[in-house]
Amino acid sequence: MERRKKRAANLALNLFMALFSAIALFPLCWVFLTAFQPTGQGVSFVLPDILAKGFTLENFTRVSELIPLWQNFWNSVVVSVVGTVLTLFFCALAGYAFAKFRFPGRDPLFLLLLFTMVIPQEVCIVPLFVVMRKLGWIDSMLSLIIPRAATAVGIFYMRQYISQYPTEIIEQARIDGCREFGIFCRIVVPGITPALASWGAISLIARWNDFMLPMIFLRNPQKQTLMVAISQLPVSDGLSTPWPVVMAGIAIATVPLLAAFVILQKYDIADLMAGSTKG
Amino acid sequence: MKQNHAPPAAPRKWRRKKLIYPYLFIAPFYLLFLVFQLYPMIWSLVLSFYKWNGISPQTFVGLKNYQRVLTDQMFWESMTNTLWYLAANLIFILPLSVLLGQLLCTKAVRARKLHKTIQILPYITSTAAAGLIFSMLFDANIGVVNGMLGALGIDALPWLTSVELSKIPVMILSIWRNTPWYMLIVMSAILGVDANLHEAAVMDGANALQRMVRITLPSIRSVLLFSLINLTIDSARIFTEPYILTKGGPGASSLSVVQYLYTTAFDSFQLGYASTIGYMLTLVLLVVSIGYFISLRRQSEE
Repeated sequence: MERRKKRAANLALNLFMALFSAIALFPLCWVFLTAFQPTGQGVSFVLPDILAKGFTLENFTRVSELIPLWQNFWNSVVVSVVGTVLTLFFCALAGYAFAKFRFPGRDPLFLLLLFTMVIPQEVCIVPLFVVMRKLGWIDSMLSLIIPRAATAVGIFYMRQYISQYPTEIIEQARIDGCREFGIFCRIVVPGITPALASWGAISLIARWNDFMLPMIFLRNPQKQTLMVAISQLPVSDGLSTPWPVVMAGIAIATVPLLAAFVILQKYDIADLMAGSTKG
Repeated sequence: MKQNHAPPAAPRKWRRKKLIYPYLFIAPFYLLFLVFQLYPMIWSLVLSFYKWNGISPQTFVGLKNYQRVLTDQMFWESMTNTLWYLAANLIFILPLSVLLGQLLCTKAVRARKLHKTIQILPYITSTAAAGLIFSMLFDANIGVVNGMLGALGIDALPWLTSVELSKIPVMILSIWRNTPWYMLIVMSAILGVDANLHEAAVMDGANALQRMVRITLPSIRSVLLFSLINLTIDSARIFTEPYILTKGGPGASSLSVVQYLYTTAFDSFQLGYASTIGYMLTLVLLVVSIGYFISLRRQSEE
């Protein structure tokens, strides 16, 4: 009796979990069910109809006619990858300084850093836009890469991680005559690769998916990032861009990251990311 | 006499030279902060007392922008909508993330790694892309949501185009996309809970619910507080979801504060007034943040 009850409870738990996985997956499935449908006879939303309608790659060609697809794709890659590499470097550098050096003003400076985290960037979007215009960075990827080359959250996280790194190793390197920057590059960086990987993943996702700032700073269609360009698909053809074409665009914009994530899940990338928020 | 107490000259020189490095290492952040955060923030504050369309000279209007914002129907509607979004996020995302986080740590659940991989996918999908997908799903005529309702015998509903319903798709999108992140955080916290506590509780005959309430939740309290604050600040800044799904409409029925700020600045070019809206939002977030720091301090004192 007791055993049966437990079995029923386990079954319920598993069904419940399956339900939530289905909810997570459901909207994404529709992208693929729609993206390959011929646009001619309207969109089908019943599975047998979809299968009966056949399969076409035309929607993908259509996307590349409506927007400068590869240019936008390349822009997104540059903004995400260069931005992530820069932010990893500067955040780790500053995190190292806060974790392993004692210097006057360290604690107030760190408190200031913490405080900047709660100020929403959106508040000063107007002056920020004017600053970018003065710098000549409108329509330039610099406007997205440079301001976030060192972020408060990133530094905070790196400091937490680096403070657990044994100080003796650093001291030893210093006695051996290593220069400060050399210590950072050759001793600290190799020692914190898990932190770099997890923060890198989070940063890459955020940058690839970024929407508001790229929309404001990059106005020329040739200069836009993929996410912004795709979001304008529904109106780029009047009001009549068919859903299959929009979904084809979404597939192009989301699949690289989704695929990378699923492949990297072998290395428990999700757990790494979750670990980054500890402390 | 004093000289006797001073450290020998050579190490001192070495020390002073060394002292410059930490400053050098943290300098990039503070430089960027000055140029791209502090300076725009101060300018924004000044601008909130001016009228400016971005081209013609600015005119000082004193407190007029603030007077206007207090009686601006559109602003208050966007504020109310934002609070609705915030409430929906808090009510659904936090309990869901505890529930799913716990299930991902429960041995009785099969294929946990697969479930975890699948359930994180919404977080990897961009809000903008998800917004477009959801606008298809919630489309009144061809959307699958109405299709499913139809199968249940319920008439098609104008999800995105009616004043009463337009907030619901925005909320669902926000919950769908943001739950995974908090689920991960909570899961990682639950994994860190002392297993001995649970074993002892099982020996004492505590059931799963009792263990959840008495052991797990208190042990992960600080993570829950972190999530609560993070989610509050993030939800207050909601923009992309209504922007893509409904454009804030119909009317202003799904408009968020940041979205109102955006249209005021970049569609109608009232840059001064947009800054005022921004500062009203900051004020609200400042109050929340102060509450956050106070409760954090109280936690660390315990």
